[in-house]
Amino acid sequence: MRKGIERKMGDIVIRGRGVISGKAEGPALVFKTSVQGNCAFDLETGEIIQKGHPLEGQNIANTIIILEGGRGSAGWSCRLHSTVVSGVGPKAMIFPKLDSRTAAASVVAGVPVVTDLDQNPFQVIETGDWLKVDGDAGVIEVNKVPK
Amino acid sequence: MQMTVEELRILEGKEGSLKKRALELIVAYAEALGALRLCKISKAHLYAGAHQYLRIRALEGLDPDQIISKMHFCSDERMILNDVACFAQTDAGPMDPDQWSKLGFSFNEATFNDLFLCRYLHAGIHLIGTCAPYLTGFIPLMGEHYVSTESHAVTLMNSIWGACANADGIEIAFCSAFCGFTPYWGNHVPEQRKATHLIQIDWTPSSIHDWDALGYAIGRKAPAFCTPLLTGNFPKVDINRLRACFAAMAASSGVEMCHILGHTPEALTREMATGNNKVESDVISEKEISEVFDLLGCRGGEVCFVSLGCPHFSIEQIKEVSQSLSGRKIHPRVEFQVWTAAAIKSISDRCGYTDEIEKAGGNLVCGSCPLLTGKFPDDGQYGLLFDSAKQANYVRSKVRGKVHYGTARECVEAAVSGVFNPGS
Repeated sequence: MRKGIERKMGDIVIRGRGVISGKAEGPALVFKTSVQGNCAFDLETGEIIQKGHPLEGQNIANTIIILEGGRGSAGWSCRLHSTVVSGVGPKAMIFPKLDSRTAAASVVAGVPVVTDLDQNPFQVIETGDWLKVDGDAGVIEVNKVPK
Repeated sequence: MQMTVEELRILEGKEGSLKKRALELIVAYAEALGALRLCKISKAHLYAGAHQYLRIRALEGLDPDQIISKMHFCSDERMILNDVACFAQTDAGPMDPDQWSKLGFSFNEATFNDLFLCRYLHAGIHLIGTCAPYLTGFIPLMGEHYVSTESHAVTLMNSIWGACANADGIEIAFCSAFCGFTPYWGNHVPEQRKATHLIQIDWTPSSIHDWDALGYAIGRKAPAFCTPLLTGNFPKVDINRLRACFAAMAASSGVEMCHILGHTPEALTREMATGNNKVESDVISEKEISEVFDLLGCRGGEVCFVSLGCPHFSIEQIKEVSQSLSGRKIHPRVEFQVWTAAAIKSISDRCGYTDEIEKAGGNLVCGSCPLLTGKFPDDGQYGLLFDSAKQANYVRSKVRGKVHYGTARECVEAAVSGVFNPGS
């Protein structure tokens, strides 16, 4: 299997390292700016409440989130964890590279996670694209949604 | 990953199910990071108590042991906390465990929190309850490996003492405390502590508040995976200024280590801080500082809530507040709080500072902060005022009222007059 972007019938495949196993699919939610570890999400609904964030008012529930890294507060993992326990967390997570906050969140959230990607996901994936994430193989299939 | 005989023995369950589960999660975390081995920690500072993230509907009906098992150790099996593996103390909690009624907590809420605190105490964790653990003797030395759940404390203790920790998160810190290990990765590894960005500060910070605003401005500029090296003219730098700076920086960024040329021990020279690696450069001038004040609210207005003490105030900061309140009264509409650690409050009680603040109508409260209590008046009509960019940054996402950001002196004046008047 060759590395890099593979175009098959309109799909794009990104390869990386599977961190947390499992498979999930859902709509992409692309965080061009990361979120802070406190007061970022409503823990009961999954709504993004961080004031002034470009995605304020949107919801992480049942999406596949793409984030560069954590910021603001060492409570990053525990609050994401609470959204998962509340049933309003993401179905999978994609990080170009892991830092301490996002690695901790990956382990405790337990949803499929892929990192160390061979392509920049912020150039390939747009919010609303339909993604299939394989946390065992480390593969992300991107199905572009017609605009 | 390379494992020692001691670690393998724990993973086999020979030292109990709690330690086994804690180490399993640490190994998973290490593998996620790509760490090649673990290292032993000597100290842990832990976000303990019935915090808001544990009081969600999905956990209602579970007892504290079940909640701790599920949310600290990701286990549906009931884990009983015992024998913490290193020196450990509590971080700030969800309330002042003694003065909870003054903050508006019910007896049942306070009792529920106490049930958690009893579990930690039983396991050997000291109930110190502060976000500023270094104020009460938690001082890891150069090269010492520790964990802390308070992001600014990690940046401070890494940067000014050369101690070693990452801002891992609450669950991972608990797991490290109970198994005794953390991944040898990131700030635990000398080569990974070098500066990645050179930030020239073209502005001279003087007061604690200047440093607070500067920290927030640096954080806004810092990209992911950034370890800054600050250069500039820092004539009055001291620990109260740096802890304000790092608290604000940790709120607006993911920075866990910040070198300051000529001031921090791993940055005596530029070459020492960068390891001669190529670094990116950036500049912060008065413009970026002004943006912080504009963003966090500096235009003034009527207030109903004023809070000082993020990070928890030191004794000299409490003394200044008590002196500026001497013989004065807090405005009847305003709730005025000053936050510190219980040990510092004991000293304040003895020195008469607490009495002075209480006579004016304010409260010296311990072990938490408005962000963690979530208890503040918010009718949308009157504003909330903080001396800390960290509090202003987070609380503004939770309230209808306007959030303001002023100096400690401006906060005291606003508490007395009921109006925040910048420059007062």
